Amino acid sequence: MSVSIPAIYEKIKQRIGKTERIKLGTIRERDFQRFAVAAGNPNPLFFDEAAAKAAGYSSIMAPPLFLSSVMGWEAGPPQEALRSDGTAGQEVAALPVEGLRLMGGGQDLEFHHPATDGMEVTMELGPEGVELKEGRSGQFLVIRLTRRYRDQNERLLVTCRESFIAR
Amino acid sequence: MAGNQLFFEDASVGTVVTPLVKHPTNAQLFRFSAVTWNSHLIHYDKVYAQSEGYPDVLVQSHLHGCFLLQAVMDWAGQRSRVLGFRWQNRGIAIPGDVLTCSGKVVKAEAGVVECELEERNQKGEVCAPGWARVELPRR
Repeated sequence: MSVSIPAIYEKIKQRIGKTERIKLGTIRERDFQRFAVAAGNPNPLFFDEAAAKAAGYSSIMAPPLFLSSVMGWEAGPPQEALRSDGTAGQEVAALPVEGLRLMGGGQDLEFHHPATDGMEVTMELGPEGVELKEGRSGQFLVIRLTRRYRDQNERLLVTCRESFIAR
Repeated sequence: MAGNQLFFEDASVGTVVTPLVKHPTNAQLFRFSAVTWNSHLIHYDKVYAQSEGYPDVLVQSHLHGCFLLQAVMDWAGQRSRVLGFRWQNRGIAIPGDVLTCSGKVVKAEAGVVECELEERNQKGEVCAPGWARVELPRR
């Protein structure tokens, strides 16, 4: 696919500082417990109400990386709409990066309050920076994206900063 | 497992984060992709992964993060609070690799410790460096 990296760079630059709010829906303990099971983490804070209360929490909590690890919160696109690498593109829905290959390099997180069963979570996301770079195999972008997760009372749960390489 | 509680009085610069060993498998990668609604072929289609130049399907970026954070939470205990955490994906890991997450305290001040972390494979190569800030209870 032919895409102009400098043109995408300009588009993202115009969006810096602008955020989009997306309702993720209700957090369910089955979902975050499956996440913990899949990660091989049987920590009682995620499963055992009495243990969570003994540790000072009001109830069991989602693993801290649950919110920022889930790629999509809706049903998602049908199979024929997936990209050739199988991705659905939800992870950077707010950015005009169609046609580029994205690589996440890790995350930088602040945990403000645990996510618990029944919370209605909203994600606020937007680019905080973009750099146009010249590599051995051509131009690429480094995009810094920030996501803020809040509950139904606007209480901040997690701040997640992530850099993507787009080429 | 997260059984023992670490107290601030017991941690100082150089205190070791108890190592945690993880053995990622195909089944684990499949389930982790499923629960995170991550349909990237690179995590379950070996032929696709090889077409990208990798020896096998890859451990997800976020699963590396989960392993490192599990090491920290198990070591610090249930009454501790992880305030901040970060990791970077530096090297790949595949099913069958043995990943050891470890670390040490680099700062201990006012009830809060900062730890440098690393996840290494069985060859000693760093897959993911990390860092955590944890509030510990006092005795």
